[in-house]
Amino acid sequence: MSFEQMQDDRPHVIRDARGKRPQFYDTPGMDQVMSMIMVLAGDLCVVRDRLDSAERVAKANGLDLAAGIEALKLDQQALEEREARRQDLLARMYSLMRKEANEAAEQESERGYRETIEEIARG
Amino acid sequence: MMLNIFQQADHGALPKATHDEAAREEFTKSFKGFIQSTLLPGLTPVYNGQVKPAFQKEHGREPADRRDIRSAMVKNLYFQHYASANRIAQEILWESVNVSIDRQLPELLEAAKKLSASSNAKLEIPDDFVPPRYITALDIHCMPGGYTSEITEQDITAGALYDRGVYLYAMGYMGPDNDDMGRSVCNYLRRNNPDFRPLRILDMGCTVGHATLPYKEYFPDAEVWGIDVGGPVVRYAHARAAAMGHEVNFAQMNAEQTSFPDDHFDLVVSHILLHETSGKAMPRIFEECHRLLAPGGMMIHADLPPFDLMDPFTQFILDNETWYNNEPFWGAMREMDQVALARRAGFNADAIKFDTAPMAVMEFAAGSDGYDEKSAGEVADREFTAGEYAPGGGWEVLIAEKAIEQEMAA
Repeated sequence: MSFEQMQDDRPHVIRDARGKRPQFYDTPGMDQVMSMIMVLAGDLCVVRDRLDSAERVAKANGLDLAAGIEALKLDQQALEEREARRQDLLARMYSLMRKEANEAAEQESERGYRETIEEIARG
Repeated sequence: MMLNIFQQADHGALPKATHDEAAREEFTKSFKGFIQSTLLPGLTPVYNGQVKPAFQKEHGREPADRRDIRSAMVKNLYFQHYASANRIAQEILWESVNVSIDRQLPELLEAAKKLSASSNAKLEIPDDFVPPRYITALDIHCMPGGYTSEITEQDITAGALYDRGVYLYAMGYMGPDNDDMGRSVCNYLRRNNPDFRPLRILDMGCTVGHATLPYKEYFPDAEVWGIDVGGPVVRYAHARAAAMGHEVNFAQMNAEQTSFPDDHFDLVVSHILLHETSGKAMPRIFEECHRLLAPGGMMIHADLPPFDLMDPFTQFILDNETWYNNEPFWGAMREMDQVALARRAGFNADAIKFDTAPMAVMEFAAGSDGYDEKSAGEVADREFTAGEYAPGGGWEVLIAEKAIEQEMAA
């Protein structure tokens, strides 16, 4: 139940099905990851459908957005903005690799991390 | 492959989706279609080319039955992706509808109340009803809350979820009103028993009445009842029937033991009910059908075929529902001798048979007046193929007639 749902007193649907969920993969976490990927794929389709709807509504109102998009020639500034957006997305997707490289550079280790926690806990 | 053959027809009780909710729902339907049309066929070459040889090498023999096949296939990555995708599709399907329903729940409850109040048909919900454990132990086919959970007074949520969810699950193949099974059995009766005019009809395990309403349409003079163990689904069924302009009675009742008198009905039907019961309940349901039927009356149960009508690999594919989709009786039911059960319930041996009722939706899609003898025969004779929405384009029906005069005890 979400935070908003806890704030109101109207009834809400049951979100999860009763019954132990089977595990399909041997690798721990893989089942959850596959589920996340499909949820993301679903919402990618939702966004694409919404753009399609926008094009159709525009067309119905006399603006051929779809044809305009196909005919659009991007200038240098637009190309650079898009390139920056793509690089930013990739950097966020691969943020754990960035972190791993930084850890290697700083010579951080799991053991060092635990030692730091214990050290701080002792004050 | 036919894409989007039917959109669901709107009616007054049906949840409405926003643009993005509808797009999310459509995605789950497309994902299901993709798994069936594209991933599932790959299982056969993977099995024959990789899994079977590995099994033979390890055990020195071929896999003997669906259990052997399963034990080998669960270790294969292609199968793991296939089975995982199936499960995820099912989960995100319910979730997409559920979120949409939650947004509009107060309005849906109000709409159903008004529709029900506008109908002359009966709605009977006893105060002290206890649903059987085989329905409440797990949420069947992973529908959150199952058929019986009530989240508020006069609840219809499970019905709304089922109505929209079944349309997506069936990918439109049940027709605009999700009523293909009822319509197919009615067509079957019209074709094979043209003089049969039942005056009282009972649909057992009716959920939201998808399959129930066609009987009222085909036999307008008949008194039609739908019963189900789920309170929210029969409440929704009553409202939905009113919204669609049909006077059909609904009650929360267990098909193992109803409150109707002996010899009361001319026709007792069920659609995909039996595999959601149990080893003990199913014989009792057959006995109850026999008790409820008037002499000369008919019992018809439409479900998927028994395992002995298909090869072990197809059995294995179907049996995944048992393991991965909260269908605990799915596999066991297909191993039961239904003809023997019907005989034990009192039906004469020569009045019990399995047959195939061709899918009404196929006739609709073809725009024809109905199957001719030849095409109907071809459907009936086809091999069962896993992955088609209905096996071979038709529903397997178990039919039994109650003797006009009871034979002396043999």
